[in-house]
Amino acid sequence: MDLVDRYIAAVQRELPEDKRQEIGRELKANICDQLDALAEHAELTESQIADVLKQMGHPAKVARQFVPPTPIVASDDIPLFKHTLVMVLGVLFVLQVVSGATQWLGSTEGSLFGFIRHIASGFIVDACFAFTAILLSFWSISAQGKVISGGRCQHWQPQNLPKVGPDWQHISLSDVFSDLATYLFLLLLIWNNLWMSADQLAARSVIFSANAQQLLQWFSPIILLSLLNTLWQLRRRLWTAPLLLANAGVNLAYALCLVFLAFSSPLLQYQGGEVEGIFTLQQLDTWLGHALLVIALFPSYECIRDILRWRKLTAH
Amino acid sequence: MTSSQLVKMRLELRRGVLVLAVLGLLKQPHYGYSLRKQLQDGGIDIDEGTLYPLVRRLAEQGLLDSEWRQAEGRERRYYQLSSSGAELLGQLTEEWQQLNGALAFLLGQVTDENAEEN
Repeated sequence: MDLVDRYIAAVQRELPEDKRQEIGRELKANICDQLDALAEHAELTESQIADVLKQMGHPAKVARQFVPPTPIVASDDIPLFKHTLVMVLGVLFVLQVVSGATQWLGSTEGSLFGFIRHIASGFIVDACFAFTAILLSFWSISAQGKVISGGRCQHWQPQNLPKVGPDWQHISLSDVFSDLATYLFLLLLIWNNLWMSADQLAARSVIFSANAQQLLQWFSPIILLSLLNTLWQLRRRLWTAPLLLANAGVNLAYALCLVFLAFSSPLLQYQGGEVEGIFTLQQLDTWLGHALLVIALFPSYECIRDILRWRKLTAH
Repeated sequence: MTSSQLVKMRLELRRGVLVLAVLGLLKQPHYGYSLRKQLQDGGIDIDEGTLYPLVRRLAEQGLLDSEWRQAEGRERRYYQLSSSGAELLGQLTEEWQQLNGALAFLLGQVTDENAEEN
């Protein structure tokens, strides 16, 4: 009987406190009945009792069968849980880029590594907090046996479903948030004289040339338009013919501006006299020009891609 | 079809029927082990890990009444169909008979078609 008692105790340890006594008592009665039936002809050895218990299953498994574990988030709410996480993490990423950019551009060192580290460390801290808060919120609702998504699945109309389209027509949230972060970063970079203090501005040794700065500022309305375009994408999350055309136009404007900027040397200038460094200003200027040409390839590709998609979409 | 698929599908097929079998047997009072023996004798072999938690769940849902009794020098928990359990058993039995009739017809059709093809 020692083996049976040990087995029951092991099962009870895996059970919630309020159910231990009751289930343990009942399980013991059932096991004893089974052992009695086997012992009708001859007394059972310890190894035979062990075989019966082994057949019952591991104590943890038996406990799980009596009290199945409840999931932290109800399975019906998992898609909503994931969607909420992506949305919140996306917003946090954009906010981190804004905060990292203001700190980076305002600092005298201006290390790119420091900028990336600021975004990464800040995002990880915020993401951990957000993940815990969202998980706890969903858990508290699921623990009450409620499902948030229930209403959404009940009140819907087939007529409101989007038309059948190719896979690319669905706009992913990661694309939307990375675009938002890029546009906000560009605006902060171009208009740094509006939000940086005079000391911070004076501390910078290399700045955009007056010509480059003016070109970038002229380009701000296009960035604002693309920002609005992206916010609209976040609302609809489906590529339509007008949206594709708008995106192609914005990307074409980006590509042209980048190419124009690349050939508008000088792009950089010293502020407050020449400074000794590893690279000369002319070298930095040439590399920046080449980098802008490479960067221009991305909006050019997106422009061509969107025009081809628009043609496919309007051909149907 | 692999043997593991067969085992899984058999389990799924039997899971719903098992509730009906247990409710049917518990028109008379039974304790855990005697219920399992009765099911085995009736051709339904079920392991303890499935049966005992199932009986408890049905009792928690109010479909079974239970009481501890002393018998043969040991205490045992006896279960018996409650009034709502009896009502549910009637409805489930009716449902089962309809399903069984429909399935017998459908499976019979399939058998006939196969015979014609051969």
